[in-house]
Amino acid sequence: MDMLCAGSKIAYFRIERSVSSTRSHRIDLEYWTLQMGAVAGARDRDSFMRLYDHFMPRLVMYLRGLGSEEMVAEELAQEAMLRLWQRAAAFDAERGHVSTWLFRIARNLRLDRQRKEPWWLPVQDGWDALDAELDGHVGAKQRESPEAFAEGKELQRRLDRLPAIQARLLRMSYLESKTHQEIAIELDMPLGTVKSTLRRAFLKLQTTMTHQP
Amino acid sequence: MNPQHHLDPASLTSYASGAMPEALAVVAATHLDACTHCRRLLRDAESIGGTLIEQQQDCAAELPRLRGLRDAMLSMLEQPDQSTARVTTLAGSEPPIHQPDTDQLPAPLRPFFGETFAGLRWRWVAPGIHRINVPDARGGKLFMLKIAPGKSMPVHSHSSGELTQILRGAYDDLLGHFGPGDMADLDSAIEHQPVTAPGQACICVAALDAPLRFRGWFARALQPLVGM
Repeated sequence: MDMLCAGSKIAYFRIERSVSSTRSHRIDLEYWTLQMGAVAGARDRDSFMRLYDHFMPRLVMYLRGLGSEEMVAEELAQEAMLRLWQRAAAFDAERGHVSTWLFRIARNLRLDRQRKEPWWLPVQDGWDALDAELDGHVGAKQRESPEAFAEGKELQRRLDRLPAIQARLLRMSYLESKTHQEIAIELDMPLGTVKSTLRRAFLKLQTTMTHQP
Repeated sequence: MNPQHHLDPASLTSYASGAMPEALAVVAATHLDACTHCRRLLRDAESIGGTLIEQQQDCAAELPRLRGLRDAMLSMLEQPDQSTARVTTLAGSEPPIHQPDTDQLPAPLRPFFGETFAGLRWRWVAPGIHRINVPDARGGKLFMLKIAPGKSMPVHSHSSGELTQILRGAYDDLLGHFGPGDMADLDSAIEHQPVTAPGQACICVAALDAPLRFRGWFARALQPLVGM
């Protein structure tokens, strides 16, 4: 699974060049948030296409991994990216990174189109509006606090350091869309153990303890 | 409404991942709708998904149609840019979503149960207990219960996956007091005997996981033998 896929070196080179830095091509949260700022503020197409080139293949891979046919995965990913362009003004970096926003919209689009669960999209829109109101800043906010970047990087580090079984269960949940029961059957593991393992993983990853009342 | 009993982190990750069976996800969403605390934790759970997507290898070269999709996207960007303005004005002018003390059902329930409490068509099950079943939620049983005030329920434990969200009224059990907005996300190990509070009927929405289904021909062949 850790093998580089074909052509990734070319993509690596392309992204590195666009970032104009020698840093790792792994997440550069600050960079992508800046691009979002340019998309929202100046409707900058170049910035948007940089986001597109980075995230579009990843969204297609994600959706394909969940069992969507190639064409469907591409359509849904394209729609998710278009929504990012259309709704850039409402994007709030304080409430999550671009990757999280795209994950959420891709998940909701897939549940809407493929599993015929149309309530996810309107319910999410309602929460976005409500949370913007509760946080006291309706509308655009592209700048992100240093704490939020630190949290994002800390999350990557913690994911990398997770015990193998916790990482595996998280991947089965997020990247294979397996229910607790399905995980229990596949790994021949008691359901209670599946739940407690996921619970431990979440608590370990949770870096935004400041959110709690 | 300030919920005191919340979703288990395991349920939050299941909801965030989109893997949770729809029946359970509707009940989880009803709690999230009422609970800013859990909505913030949900963002954390969703950021795990975002990070996992980000950490995938870039396989752009494996997607032969990507070039065409990219061109299609570029031409869409050329089109007049109306949607952004629309979204912005919407966000600024929309009335508050939560209007407490109304007869309206929480948003996630409306596609399944209708718009209002007054419009619910309850069916008698037993003295003091009414129920509404939803046939069309995927992956489990979704239903609402109305239990008369001051009623003691039989002692019971919970099946593998069960979520209960209190909408009106309240009940007490060994885990404490459960009022409007509270979520009972209980381990199957827990055996309890809820007693509804006096005064108002307790209305809750609940979901049960579908029974285990084995995959593959061998397991399916075994299924009748093990009574699944």
